[in-house]
Amino acid sequence: MDSFIETFHIDWKIIIAQGVNFIIVLFVLNYLIVKPLKKLMKERSLTIIGGLNDAKLNKELLSNTQKEYDIVLNKAKMEAHTLYQEGKVEAENKKRKMIEDAKEEVDLMIQNGKKALEVEKIKIIDEAKQEIVSLVVRATEKLLETHKDENFDDKALEQIKKI
Amino acid sequence: MTTENTKDELNTVKEQHNLSVDVKEIESKPASEEVTTESTLFAEPIANFGSFTVTNSLFTSWVVVFVLIVIAVIVKTRIKKIPRGIQNLFEVIIEGAEDLCDQVTSSRAITNKAFPVVFAVFMFVLLNNWFGILPLGGFGLVETLEHGKVFIPLFRSGTADINGTLPLAIMSVIGANIFGIISIGLWKTINKYVNLKALGSIFTKIKKDPSVLMTAPIMFAVGILELVGEFAKIASLSFRLFGNVFAGEVLLASMGAIVAYVLPTPFLLLEVLVGVIQAFIFAILTLVYYTISSMDHDEDHDEKHESNKEAKFSDTGSPDISKEVFEGELSGVH
Repeated sequence: MDSFIETFHIDWKIIIAQGVNFIIVLFVLNYLIVKPLKKLMKERSLTIIGGLNDAKLNKELLSNTQKEYDIVLNKAKMEAHTLYQEGKVEAENKKRKMIEDAKEEVDLMIQNGKKALEVEKIKIIDEAKQEIVSLVVRATEKLLETHKDENFDDKALEQIKKI
Repeated sequence: MTTENTKDELNTVKEQHNLSVDVKEIESKPASEEVTTESTLFAEPIANFGSFTVTNSLFTSWVVVFVLIVIAVIVKTRIKKIPRGIQNLFEVIIEGAEDLCDQVTSSRAITNKAFPVVFAVFMFVLLNNWFGILPLGGFGLVETLEHGKVFIPLFRSGTADINGTLPLAIMSVIGANIFGIISIGLWKTINKYVNLKALGSIFTKIKKDPSVLMTAPIMFAVGILELVGEFAKIASLSFRLFGNVFAGEVLLASMGAIVAYVLPTPFLLLEVLVGVIQAFIFAILTLVYYTISSMDHDEDHDEKHESNKEAKFSDTGSPDISKEVFEGELSGVH
């Protein structure tokens, strides 16, 4: 052992000093490099993993939204088509009804016109009759006044008056 | 350097290195004017603080520690979320090193615990190896010894001195055992070396299994061998590193002596690589010792025993059942 120590000049003080050197290096590297960098790398990894998960979720969300959009769009198209068809049918019905109403109104107007014409006709006939009667009466009166004699039959006179 | 200073230093050197030459005798002899360079097996002293001798290896280690502190402070102050420059380099190193450690430990938990030590070992050894081969041969002291003036370089790798590698190896092995105590407990760690459990099994298992009388002492002896093995680990770690780095420095000095500047260049590049490899080997061996220490051999043994039993059972069928059937058949015959 002595020869070994003598050959290699083993000095416990230097061994302790070298040990202290290594311990200093261990603490310095651990607290200034390894721990902070590992912490940072872990945080970064978590951020990346989180970002990837978010991207995946966003992709799924986008896909779902796209599907929903398509569904809503198709639904809207269907509804629009239904509404259009309904509108069309309603418009047809309305058109038909309006035409029918117009026809009815026209018929009514025609009938009313006919009635009015009939009434007017009757009225005119009555007036004409009255006029004729009054004319006949006047003419008869004048005739009677001008040809007043005893031969004139009283009965005939009465008949003329009736007319 | 004055004559008195030289005399004092030489006296110190003489005391520390047991030189049998008297200083007065040196003074009486005319010192050779030619300054020679020697490759010594030990680090040369360059200064004294009382009884504490500073060797060129220790000085290099201090420089390495200083450089590492500066690098660490620079990295710490420049840490940003988006890595750039030196932070990027260290992130790549740490990430790669952790993946490599995972391959050795097969467990990220062990890697996380052992990594700071292994990384520090690697960086400390690597920089020490590289600082030893820095072409700063001109910096040093000229000492007058018995055989003339000797040039003592200021930089000698911290790992080219056994006083530098021995504490690393000791701390590596002791650290591994402390890690073992933390991981598997004090009792199991002690039992690895002084296998009291094996000795105790003589009394508890002798009725069931008399062969324990043979196996228990062997197990106990194996434990003692394990204890000797721990010292072997210290010796192998320290001498491997010291031998390789010192041999590299001697090789460079020899090549430089043959043809200066030109011939050492390829060897210098080789030594750069050797420095990395030796640091890597030291760090990986440290990690291996940490991993071995954190393993419970008893559990492994029990698991193996159980798996062997199961394998035997599945291969040949249950021996107990066949025995019962056989005995049943016999009773039927009788």
